[in-house]
Amino acid sequence: MRPKHKILVIDDEEVVLDSCTQVLSAGDCHVATAPNGTDGLKLVETFEPELVFIDLKMPGLSGFEVLERLRTNHPEIEAIVITGYATVSSAIEAMKKGAFDFLPKPFTPEELRLITRRALEHRELARQAAALRREKEMLRENFAAIVSHELKSPLGAIQQNLYALIDELGDKLSDEQKDRLVRLKKRVDDLLNLIHSWLRVFSVDLSKLKENFRPLELATVVARAVDIVHQHAVRKSVEIEVAVPGDLPMVSGDEGSLTEVVVNLLNNAVKYSFANSKVTVRAGTQDGEVFLSVIDTGVGIAKEDLKHLFQDFGRGRKQPEGAEGCGLGLAISKRIVEVHGGSIEVQSEPGKGSAFTVRLPVARADMDVVTNPSTGSQT
Amino acid sequence: MNQTKKLLIIDDDPDFVAGMKSILVKANYEVDVAYNPKDGLQALQTKPYDLLLLDIMMGRGAEGIMIARKLGKDPKLRNLPVLIITGIREQMAFLFPGQAVHPHFVAVDELVEKPVEPKLLLEKVEALLKTAEARKGQSK
Repeated sequence: MRPKHKILVIDDEEVVLDSCTQVLSAGDCHVATAPNGTDGLKLVETFEPELVFIDLKMPGLSGFEVLERLRTNHPEIEAIVITGYATVSSAIEAMKKGAFDFLPKPFTPEELRLITRRALEHRELARQAAALRREKEMLRENFAAIVSHELKSPLGAIQQNLYALIDELGDKLSDEQKDRLVRLKKRVDDLLNLIHSWLRVFSVDLSKLKENFRPLELATVVARAVDIVHQHAVRKSVEIEVAVPGDLPMVSGDEGSLTEVVVNLLNNAVKYSFANSKVTVRAGTQDGEVFLSVIDTGVGIAKEDLKHLFQDFGRGRKQPEGAEGCGLGLAISKRIVEVHGGSIEVQSEPGKGSAFTVRLPVARADMDVVTNPSTGSQT
Repeated sequence: MNQTKKLLIIDDDPDFVAGMKSILVKANYEVDVAYNPKDGLQALQTKPYDLLLLDIMMGRGAEGIMIARKLGKDPKLRNLPVLIITGIREQMAFLFPGQAVHPHFVAVDELVEKPVEPKLLLEKVEALLKTAEARKGQSK
């Protein structure tokens, strides 16, 4: 047998309390009553009703006040107002404040039963919707744990054994065999990095980066990023030219993630560049903002692809040979820049090249320039 | 070098353990393995080890963390150096909100991410053993 529905009726008229109790108790409801708002709110805490009827006009605490407190403290409880002076305006006012419906006095037992059933059904639907939302939210939050255990663990085990085998078989294998093992290791590394990127997009709360914001020199960020991309550029015979003025104002941000943005932009620029061309990093100030542009003279981006560029998995269709990537770099970059209060945009012409520009607000002068090492970004 | 150092690996992934163990054995360590927290704790109680390699993300939750916490409370095992091995950094941050990513369960510990390059693994193990030894010397 399912438990009875708990219903609370708050009304100063004893006859209303009595008749409601009689009508609803005959169904599958357990009814409690209170003669005024103060007692009613107390009873809400102990009785834990699913539905509360509130008389709007009572001595002491008014029905509106009871309704307001109920909505604030227990949004999961449905409320129906009983309007003695059956004015539509007060009923509408109550519904604006979150009542599910109103019941004008005098009412018939049938009206009471109907409105009660509707309210309980409404509550059940709302509860189910909330449970689904919660489930979805939990799935998202636990995505990191699920993916990491189901995908990363086996890959980690494979990689660990490749490491060990390369180490142990070093003097037994031919160069060609060693090379194959090293290439296998690289493939597994790429997979692990890919999973890491997915996790960043789907489950890492980038807004938490704000906790680590501190004043930064963009020149430092650019230098670090160029350092990371350098190898890639050399292999493709692409030169990276940096033109960042020394007197650039500081920006406020998280060094690690901003470096990630510049690395993503530089990697893309190098990837889509032709051999023996040049990628330029330019920075300056414009309209009170600091801008940083990464400009290449590579394949460029078709107009129809531009609008999907910053979306998850959005890759340009025209792929130069050997350009691999998961199409998440720009999506992550956009999110990181937006968390910094900035924007990112692209200008491109197929066959001529692309220019990605990041704009960031200038760090406020009153910001603490002496950085506290304990708040620095963790690696 | 004096006598062979004894290491214990507690990790529930036999394949991962195989890849770790062979690197350590090749470097002349004596390596025991426990594939679950229960066997691991029992091994620690019955045999003296010089270092523990502990997978923090075993089983359904973070059973490895339970072991690390128990070690911290045990006056005999508190000084055992521990190399914590974790699948992913984000999870660590998730488990210890607002804390440094490296939680310091016991006096001497270090944290590495799976998979571990042989060179890095051996460096960390050696460094931990050295630090633990130096501490022992001090307290005498």
